[in-house]
Amino acid sequence: MEDYIVEMRNITKRFPGIVANDDVTIQVKRSEVFALLGENGAGKSTLMSILFGLYEPDKGEIYIRGNKVRFRSSNDATAHNIGMVHQHFKLVDNYTVAENIVLGIEPMNRALGILPYVDIKTANREISLLSQKYGLEVNPTDKIEDLPVSVRQRVEILKMLYREADILIFDEPTAVLTPQEIEFLLKIIDEMRKSGKTIILITHKIEEIKKIADRCAILHRGKLVAVLDVESTSSQDMANMMVGRMVEFAAVKQPPRYRETVLEVEHLSVRNANKFEVVKDVSFKIRGGEIFAIAGVAGNGQGEIADAITGMIQPHSGTIKLCGKDISGLSIRQRVEAGLSYIPEDRQGTGLFLDFNLDQNLCLRKYYKKPFANQHILNFSELESYAGILIDKYDIRSAQGIKTSLRSMSGGNQQKAIIAREIEEHAKLIIFVQPTRGLDIGAIEYIHKQILAEREKGVAILLISLELDEIMNLADTIGVLYNGEFLKIADASTMTSHDVGRYMMGVKGQ
Amino acid sequence: MKKVINKLASILDDKRWDSVSIPILSILLSFICISIILLVMGKDPLLAFKSFLQGSGFWPKEKYGGGNGMLTDLFSFLNILAPMILAALGFVVGFKAGFFNIGISGQMLSAGFLAAVIVGYSDLNAVIAKPLVIIIGALAGGLLGAFVGFLKHKFNIHEVVSTIMINYIISYLTGFFINGYYSDAITRSMKISGANARLTWTNVQIAGVKCNIPLGIVLAIAAAFVVKFIFDKTVFGFELKAVGSNMRCARYTGINVGRHIVISLTISGALAGLAGVTYYCGYLNTIVPRTLSSLGYDAIAVALLGNSSPIGAIFASFLITIFQTGSNYMSSTVGVAKEIASLITGILLLFSACGGYFRYLAHRRMQRIQDEWDIKDNPLRKIIADNSDERKEEHIHG
Repeated sequence: MEDYIVEMRNITKRFPGIVANDDVTIQVKRSEVFALLGENGAGKSTLMSILFGLYEPDKGEIYIRGNKVRFRSSNDATAHNIGMVHQHFKLVDNYTVAENIVLGIEPMNRALGILPYVDIKTANREISLLSQKYGLEVNPTDKIEDLPVSVRQRVEILKMLYREADILIFDEPTAVLTPQEIEFLLKIIDEMRKSGKTIILITHKIEEIKKIADRCAILHRGKLVAVLDVESTSSQDMANMMVGRMVEFAAVKQPPRYRETVLEVEHLSVRNANKFEVVKDVSFKIRGGEIFAIAGVAGNGQGEIADAITGMIQPHSGTIKLCGKDISGLSIRQRVEAGLSYIPEDRQGTGLFLDFNLDQNLCLRKYYKKPFANQHILNFSELESYAGILIDKYDIRSAQGIKTSLRSMSGGNQQKAIIAREIEEHAKLIIFVQPTRGLDIGAIEYIHKQILAEREKGVAILLISLELDEIMNLADTIGVLYNGEFLKIADASTMTSHDVGRYMMGVKGQ
Repeated sequence: MKKVINKLASILDDKRWDSVSIPILSILLSFICISIILLVMGKDPLLAFKSFLQGSGFWPKEKYGGGNGMLTDLFSFLNILAPMILAALGFVVGFKAGFFNIGISGQMLSAGFLAAVIVGYSDLNAVIAKPLVIIIGALAGGLLGAFVGFLKHKFNIHEVVSTIMINYIISYLTGFFINGYYSDAITRSMKISGANARLTWTNVQIAGVKCNIPLGIVLAIAAAFVVKFIFDKTVFGFELKAVGSNMRCARYTGINVGRHIVISLTISGALAGLAGVTYYCGYLNTIVPRTLSSLGYDAIAVALLGNSSPIGAIFASFLITIFQTGSNYMSSTVGVAKEIASLITGILLLFSACGGYFRYLAHRRMQRIQDEWDIKDNPLRKIIADNSDERKEEHIHG
């Protein structure tokens, strides 16, 4: 019998309409990096939420250090030295770093021997020491709201370490980080392993597992597919097992066949609420059959360009022409009807009504037109049959078909629903903003194929992405945006990813 | 016991009926809870419930005063039911579009006041006066609602803040005019308006008893079905729900959000205005100055109890109004302070808010039963389960 620090035996957890974990058994050894690999909705986060005491399993047992345990809340898990960094950080924005870390177990002191107060000075000192020990640099007195995402993540990690956790769960820790920050995080994880901590890493990025993990469990639709030794397994095998079929890593791209100009943006400037110019005098053209990709580090004005073209925000100056017609003065609906489709960055907040059913969400561009509406009365059977066709055509998976609430669907299928809806508009221009963010490789592969298929049809495509790989794989023309300006617009074949990366950092000219 | 619970769970878990079965369970549980409270107070709960029904005309009383009968009570119940349904509908329309219209009381008051001032003291023919009262009510409430929507859209002023403020403004403004120009010397209330303008026919003889017949109840039920139709079937209703569900996505969809904000609050206010005229120019025919009716606030609770659906609002109004109208009679027969009606409303709300939890409990129980059946009682499934276990072992070790 090996020395397992964590054992989860025959865990089953159901949610309405879905079996999130179906009889899953995993065993984690002391001081190893154990990865959980799976697509979105495969049940990784649920399994770890059970281990962290957030859910109780419907069936199954948990053993920690050989003892059977039953967690009723995350406090029980913390008492067993288990810590978790959630995908969406759980921090109090207007508290300082130190206050967040000690929250709940504050070091107390008594003024004049009676009045209790939080000894924040001790806390600050302890946290400085802790952060130095693990190389996680933070300033204990900074407020969370002023900090970038990567530092907030460090705070979350310190929060676990401060509670003396030695089983650390990371839920998709790299999803929000830049490549350099990912490097740094993996190094930290490696050091924590060396110092004897056990780490469970939830991810769908195989290259990270290859870099850091010792063993890896693969989940597919709630079931455990395999537990593998990372070193002796190829990335391709892992990907196939995770998706449940063969996966093509790079999309096949035909040589471009450009048509006439579809989108013409001239001298576009956008100001934000503080009158600060976030897009400065930007001009570019997209032809039919061309994928124009805007590369850049997040927050350099990409989102504003897309919003200005679609009419979600009013530009300060400049003109936007679609097929030679000025659309700057049109309403959002008029622009859509003029031939513009938009896959927004924030799919849950902007692209979908999470409380509505799938069929209604699939018909958002059509519901008010004939035959879906007649004299202002909705025709539900038309809506439903149209939605049914889209679900089949785009392979959108959901628990209860067209009557599934969007909220209960996985991220990948939510995105598929948006893409199906927008592509079916047969627009002249489709704007994709971060179309694959947070999705697993199966869904990414699918969406890239859809984008390329639209290109073949002669649609003009504006692709805005933070993923350099995605841009290099898909783009015909690349524009690198820095500080609201294009530093470089060039044919994709003339640039390497290294060049693009340099422009992204603001390095001008050769 | 276990069998009974399992049976109950299977009923509650049935998707076809859960919009009915869950509220019924909530109501039953609240009745049990209320009964316990009454028992603790040493009163007979059955007698109390009977008295509530007697007080609102659903059960004959032992004796009636001169010329009155059960129908008298029933019609007086319907008289107060009408504004309750309309006010609850007003809240529902705002709520579905994402707004919390607390201004129903103020909208009711302004509608009732204007209708009384313009029509109530005129000698217009009843055939013209009554529709005019209704139109003025809807217009007055609607305009106030539109103003709230305008503030929300143009200056992003939260509707809760603006409606509370407007409630006070209306209360004092109408109070000023009533005290200054329309005050009755004896009652200090507004001078009563003429029978021509009143939306209730008073002292009509039916089956030998005197009844006050409300026209408003027809209006209220019709309005509920119109609201239901708008939300369930029309493009406009779909767009209102969209704005209420996610304003950003509604904009993305191409809906003119600002226009919909104003229109939804206008309709909400217009319904509140109708509630106002059925209340002040129907159920009552006077206005007590500087007093907002509590009905405008109760309507919020009623709308939520009715799961913010228009038809649910009818049933919830029915239930709550029984307790509120019947409380006087109950208090005289059972000897409990009539304020217990508010306590009952509170308990009903509490349990109906737990509806989602009951549904979840039932669903979980049904799945546990399914699990046990899968493994234990079905030999075939057990074999399949065992086999898949073995296969998994191979995977892990192989």
